[in-house]
Amino acid sequence: MGRTFLIGITAAILAASSAFADSPSVTAVLSNSETVVGETVELQIKVTGPGDASPPEEISIDGLEIHATGQSRQFEIHNFSTSSSVTYNYTILPLRAGKFIIPPQIVRAGGSLLRTPELTLNVADVPGRSSAARPSRGTQSQSVRPGDLVFAELIVPKKTAYVGEIVPVQIRMAFDPRVRPRLIEPPEITGQGFTAQKLQESGQNSETINGRPYDVVTYKTAITAAHAGKFELGPVKAKAQVLVPRARNAPRPRSRSPFDLFDLDDPFSDPFFSNPFAQMGERREVEIKSEPVALEVKPLPPNAPPSFSGAIGNFTMSTDANPTSVQVGDPIAVTTAVSGRGNFDRVNAPVVEDERGWHKYPPSSKFKQDDEVGISGTKTFETVLSPNEKKQSLPLLAFSYFDPVKEQYVTLRSEPVAISVQGGAAPANVAAAQPASSPAATVTRPASAAQITAKPQDILYQLTERPRATESFAPIYTRRVFWGTQGIPLLALIGFAVWKIRGARINNRQAQRTAALHHEAAELMHNLRRKDASPREYYAEASRVVRVKTALASVGRGIDPNVVDAETAADTFKLNSNERDRLRRLFEQSDEWQYSGAHNGPGEISPENRRDVLELIDNLRV
Amino acid sequence: MRRLRSVLEHRPVACAARGDSLRCVRSSPESIRGRAHRLKVYVPLCTLVSIFFISSAIAQPDADFAKANQEYAQRHFKEAISDYEALIRDGQWSANVFYDLGNAYFRARDFGRAILSYERALALERHHPEATANLQIARDEAGALELQRSWPERYMQFASVNQHSVAAAVAFWVAAFCLAGLIFTRRRAAAMVGLLVVMLLVFAGSIFAVWQLERGSKGDALAIVTGKNVQARLATADTANAVLALPPGSEVKILSTRGDWIYAVLPKNLQGWIPAKDAEQVRL
Repeated sequence: MGRTFLIGITAAILAASSAFADSPSVTAVLSNSETVVGETVELQIKVTGPGDASPPEEISIDGLEIHATGQSRQFEIHNFSTSSSVTYNYTILPLRAGKFIIPPQIVRAGGSLLRTPELTLNVADVPGRSSAARPSRGTQSQSVRPGDLVFAELIVPKKTAYVGEIVPVQIRMAFDPRVRPRLIEPPEITGQGFTAQKLQESGQNSETINGRPYDVVTYKTAITAAHAGKFELGPVKAKAQVLVPRARNAPRPRSRSPFDLFDLDDPFSDPFFSNPFAQMGERREVEIKSEPVALEVKPLPPNAPPSFSGAIGNFTMSTDANPTSVQVGDPIAVTTAVSGRGNFDRVNAPVVEDERGWHKYPPSSKFKQDDEVGISGTKTFETVLSPNEKKQSLPLLAFSYFDPVKEQYVTLRSEPVAISVQGGAAPANVAAAQPASSPAATVTRPASAAQITAKPQDILYQLTERPRATESFAPIYTRRVFWGTQGIPLLALIGFAVWKIRGARINNRQAQRTAALHHEAAELMHNLRRKDASPREYYAEASRVVRVKTALASVGRGIDPNVVDAETAADTFKLNSNERDRLRRLFEQSDEWQYSGAHNGPGEISPENRRDVLELIDNLRV
Repeated sequence: MRRLRSVLEHRPVACAARGDSLRCVRSSPESIRGRAHRLKVYVPLCTLVSIFFISSAIAQPDADFAKANQEYAQRHFKEAISDYEALIRDGQWSANVFYDLGNAYFRARDFGRAILSYERALALERHHPEATANLQIARDEAGALELQRSWPERYMQFASVNQHSVAAAVAFWVAAFCLAGLIFTRRRAAAMVGLLVVMLLVFAGSIFAVWQLERGSKGDALAIVTGKNVQARLATADTANAVLALPPGSEVKILSTRGDWIYAVLPKNLQGWIPAKDAEQVRL
């Protein structure tokens, strides 16, 4: 339901847009207003607006051969506004030089007649070009030759080079755009006696070569000759798959292709290209091969300078140092940049011409190339120099290369860099102030340098006292005595722990005993408050309560309740004489009831006696 | 004395009664008196001999040391070096002996070994002012390079490894007693807990300091270049690329040893291989 609604809305918008679309219009343009004889130009007539249009079927101009090659239709929607246009293509082949006027053409569109603007085409003549140069249709093969569709070209800018010199090389691969090429194997420069760098694709553009459009892919690389002699560079070989018409078994007349409008030797005159769906094409693998190029390689001249490391090309050098104010022995970072064009893989760090008084560290380098193949760029070296004595300038750095244009060795020397070196030995008489002079002449002989060196400070006196005990290099923690000493605090700690644990255990036993006594006393007091106890039991329990309370009162002394008598209890509770007598009587009565039989005396205890006993026991407090 | 004499007088009778004539002969009053006499003579004699040997054993290094000093005073530096070296070989290690040996090497213009000896003197006694002063002079003379100290090492150098070790031990035991006290007492005093924490921190800091100093540029791997024209190289071959030229007396820290080569940390934060014969470890 919703989908139907959406379709309806869209259709309504389109219908409304069409109803309010602009009225039809026509334009005409030339792909190029200037050309030469034999070189085609495209004419496009574009009709914008609704409805069908009928373009001119034939345009006849003397000196120009014009053929319709097809049409294309465009339909565009912009902000719910639709527009449609039809472009009619014509190819114009100038047959002679001159200025040609293409008059306005009548186009019928949407029930109205439209007129194209007038166009002008200037055709120049090509010297030496004649119609005889073109192969006639009768001599051409009916099969498509893949070599005409793709080709390669090896471009070497120079014919002579030196051993080790880096020579830039360009490879151009041209493809007819209609064959839809697919590169299987990238181009490779064959040959011996040289090394080639990795190919870098540098660009792709469209060019017209011999009147045909080609997609041209350009690769760049550089080669270096390994030895002197004459050898051939190339050919460049590559493999590609291209789309070509299917081969037919027997030759038969074919219809004229729109691509071969002018009876040219065009492989695309095959009808396959005019209508690929009418006749299926096939992919064919083709080998692309260029022509080889001769190269003469010359050896380098003898007597290379000492600082020559194999660099060939054209270079410049700049030097910088940081810091410029140091102490003797401090490092100075010397940055040397070698810029230019040449074989940077053989460009080594500039050499220090006079290392005396300096300590040189191995340099580090980094290369920043300015092109795809690394022929031009800047190689930067960082060398750390450390002065061993006072100096006023950095030593001269030299870099040599061979200039193949001048055909001679060139040595570059760094500009003098003034520095300030403090401390250490006195300054040697170096020729930093005269950088133009040769390094050998600028350095003072070591003997004279030693003469002007300040006399060093003398060492201190000899010591004649020798300690009795020998000393050891071993750290104290590796010695047995150290670990033996640790036994003392260890034993102390163990003793402390044992003492504390034992005390805790003792306290625990005493606490248990006290708790048992408390429990027993409470139970006995409970029994004493009962009225059904016999006198014997009553007095026995009463005396027992007194013993237990006495034991509890003297818990620190550890008195056994069984050995407590009346005197001990009285002393413990510090009773007066009256209470002491009452306590004695209590113990005597208990003993009487315990040992003299159960039938002596009354069978019950009077409440007064019971109250008296309880009062006595309750008053037993420390 | 009287009782002893009476016992001695009665013993032969008892021996004869048991028929042990040999023992009786041995235990006769004459023989006992002879033995006592021998004891009276031999014991002091042996004591004297022992004292003599012990004292001469103690005095011998002193004599050798004095002789070496005398050789030095007479500007016989090679002989002095030989005498000092003999003392050191005998295990008579002391900061002064190494210091004097360093002076002798300095006079003999062997700055590498002079610096090595001063370093050894300072390894035995951190605060040896004479060794410190002469070491600086020798370094200036030789142009020796020093290892760069890391910042923890610089801060931890306020005490020696031994002092840090003792501090660690003391802190450990105080912390242990604090912990035991906290465990065995019912009341946990905040002061004791604080002391425990402080002691544990001191212990950890001291252990870290010991580790840092022992592994640092002045640690047990410190060695001194004693050879001349020593080049640290990238590989264990005389033809390998040079990393750094090491003047005599330069400090290196040995990382590993492979055959006759040692791989060491060099001054200026570099690393390289140097011949083992051209460097000696400071700690013996």
